[in-house]
Amino acid sequence: MASEGRKRVAVGNDKEEQGLITRLSQSTVVQKAKGLANDGSYVAKKLVKSTGKAAWIFGTTFLILVVPIMVQTDREQQVFEYESQQAILGR
Amino acid sequence: MAGLVPPPPTAPDTPKQNERVDYLNLPCPIPYDEISREAYMSLKPELFEGMRIDFTKGLNQKFSLSHSVTMGPTEIPSQSTETIKIPTAQYEFGANFLDPKLMLVGRVLTDGRLNARVKCDLTENLSLKANSQLTNEPHMSHGMASFDYKGKDFRSQFQLGNGALFGANYIQSVTPNLSVGGEVFWAGQHRKSGIGYAARYNTDKMVATGQVASTGVVAMSYVQKVSDKVSLASDFMYNYLSRDVTASFGYDYILRQCRLRGKIDSNGVAAAFLEERLNMGLNFILSAEIDHRKKDYKFGFGLTVGE
Repeated sequence: MASEGRKRVAVGNDKEEQGLITRLSQSTVVQKAKGLANDGSYVAKKLVKSTGKAAWIFGTTFLILVVPIMVQTDREQQVFEYESQQAILGR
Repeated sequence: MAGLVPPPPTAPDTPKQNERVDYLNLPCPIPYDEISREAYMSLKPELFEGMRIDFTKGLNQKFSLSHSVTMGPTEIPSQSTETIKIPTAQYEFGANFLDPKLMLVGRVLTDGRLNARVKCDLTENLSLKANSQLTNEPHMSHGMASFDYKGKDFRSQFQLGNGALFGANYIQSVTPNLSVGGEVFWAGQHRKSGIGYAARYNTDKMVATGQVASTGVVAMSYVQKVSDKVSLASDFMYNYLSRDVTASFGYDYILRQCRLRGKIDSNGVAAAFLEERLNMGLNFILSAEIDHRKKDYKFGFGLTVGE
C-alpha cells in the first residue's frame, strides 16, 4: 500500500513537472522566441550562402580579369628597370 | 603575330582648330561592315577551349603553308539549357598566297570542311572579295562574293551570296570625324529583306558608333583610348524584336611582350585573352572564359609558331 502510494505520488510529481515544461514551451513568449530564433537562423544561413556566392563570383572574376594585368604590368616594370640599369652600367 | 601589333590608327588626321574644314577633301571612311572594328577587337577575342598549336612556314616571300592542331571539348547545340560538350581533335592544313594585289587563302580540316578566301584588287579602286565554305553535309555550304568600290570620301559594296542573298551598302564621310552609311539586303531563300543605318564618329582618342537595322537590332559601341597602351571599350546591344539587352565592357592592354584583352558583360560572362611573345615568332596564348550564370567554364592554351 505504502509503496503504491509513494509510486502514485512520484507519478503525480512527474506529471506536474511535464505539465510545467509543456506549459512553459507553449507559452507565447517562448513560442515567439522560438519563431524569432528560427527566422534568424534562416536569414543568417541565407545571408552566409549569398555572401559566399557573391564572394565566389567576385573572386573568380577578379582572378580572370585583374590578376593577369597585375602580373604583366609588374613584369613590364621589371624589364624596364633592368634595361635602365643596363643603360647606366653601359655608360 | 598580327594580334600583337596595335591596330593602325584609323582616325583621320584632325585638322587644326582654326583651320576651316574642307568638305571637298574629306578622308575615306572605313568599310561599312568594319564600322565598329575597334570595339570588336577588344570585346570579341577569339576565345577557345582546350589546346591549339598553329604553325606557319613561309616557303618564299609570297607563299606560305600553315598547320594547326586543335584538341578539346566542343559544344554541340542542343535545346536544353545545359551545354553538352564532346571531346574532339582536329588538324587543319592551310595554304596562303599573299601579294599586295592578290590574296588567296585556303584551309582544309580533317572533318572535310574546306574554306577558301580570295581578295583581289581589280583596279585601283575596285576590289573583289570572295569567301566560301564547303562541307560534306548538304545545305551547309556557303559562298559569298562582294565588290568593293573605294571612292575619295565614300565606300560602297555590293554583295552576292548563295541562297539568293543580295546586299549593298554605302558609307560616306560627312565631316572629317563623322561618317554615316546605310545598307539594304535581301535574302531570297528566307524571303527576308532589311535596311540598316550606321554612323561612326572618331577622333584619335575615341571611336563611337551606332547602328540600327530593321531586323530589330540596335547596337552602340564606344572605345576610348586611355594611352597608347590601354584602350577601354564598351558596347550595348538591344534587340527590339526579342527584347534581348546585352552590355559589355572590356579593356585592351598592349604591352611590349604581350597583349591582354578582358571583358565582362551583363550576361555574367567574364573572359580574358592573353597573347604573350616568348621569342621571335613564338607566341603563347591563354584564353579563359567563365559564365557564372550557365556555370560554363572554358580554359584554353595554345602556341603560335612562325609568321
